[in-house]
Amino acid sequence: MSDLDDLPPAPDAAGTSLDGDKVFTITAEENAALCRSTGVEPAADGSAHPIYYYIATQVAMGKTVAGVCEACEFDVEDGPMMGSSGVRFDAPLKVGESYKVTGEILSLVRKRSRKLGVMDVLTYRLRLHLLDGTQVLETDNVWVLPRKEFAA
Amino acid sequence: MSHAVGDALPPFTIESVSPEAMKQWAVFLADPNPIHLDVEVVKAKGLGDRVINQGPINVAYMMNMLMRAFPGGRIKTMDSRFLDNVYGGDRAVVTGRIAAIEGNAVTCEFSLDVDGRGTVNSGTATIEI
Repeated sequence: MSDLDDLPPAPDAAGTSLDGDKVFTITAEENAALCRSTGVEPAADGSAHPIYYYIATQVAMGKTVAGVCEACEFDVEDGPMMGSSGVRFDAPLKVGESYKVTGEILSLVRKRSRKLGVMDVLTYRLRLHLLDGTQVLETDNVWVLPRKEFAA
Repeated sequence: MSHAVGDALPPFTIESVSPEAMKQWAVFLADPNPIHLDVEVVKAKGLGDRVINQGPINVAYMMNMLMRAFPGGRIKTMDSRFLDNVYGGDRAVVTGRIAAIEGNAVTCEFSLDVDGRGTVNSGTATIEI
């Protein structure tokens, strides 16, 4: 018998679409401000800071952060936490380029941890594309959603 | 420039994590979560007594270390793990080493440490040089 048998299962969020309808453009001004905010100067070759993999996909996906949480029946005010983030680039991100996002929730798994108690582990995948559909990167993010309502 | 497995990479240091940068990133990320902006909210949630850096900024610090270590190189893959918070005013240092070399692909292991609390982020990445 699992120690989770006394709990309801995690909501069935897998498969929820995160396809976006926004276009995200990396501007030279914002890229420069972002680079400097992290302690470096912007690149001179027209490439954007690679952390735009996270920013562009989050901003242009089909749900807000609160909306992703809602799809998991989780109140964003309860504090989602980043667990991990992975990215695979097919091409560098460029200043002045415009992108769109497709993606989906891969899984939502209920677990119990000594530190956090009951939590749902959310994994979702986003892809960044040029406007002609060419994929430039794929990212998998894992968030931890602490389920305070199940605290002992 | 030649590289070898086991080589240490030059550290990248943020002398004091900036609450002003967190305000900028709230706009970049379109996510005005107050734990990054308002110390009173952080205190009320029992999360500490300083504003909390957005996780992707910490990833950017680690990317900066890699890009400085391999000028002209390109990050092909990167995986980051979030182990603890980084707070406004923290001194944060990224260190790393070369774990493998295959052709023009260099795989690195790295971590982000803050003074007094140890490793708060860690990861691996492959850079095409």
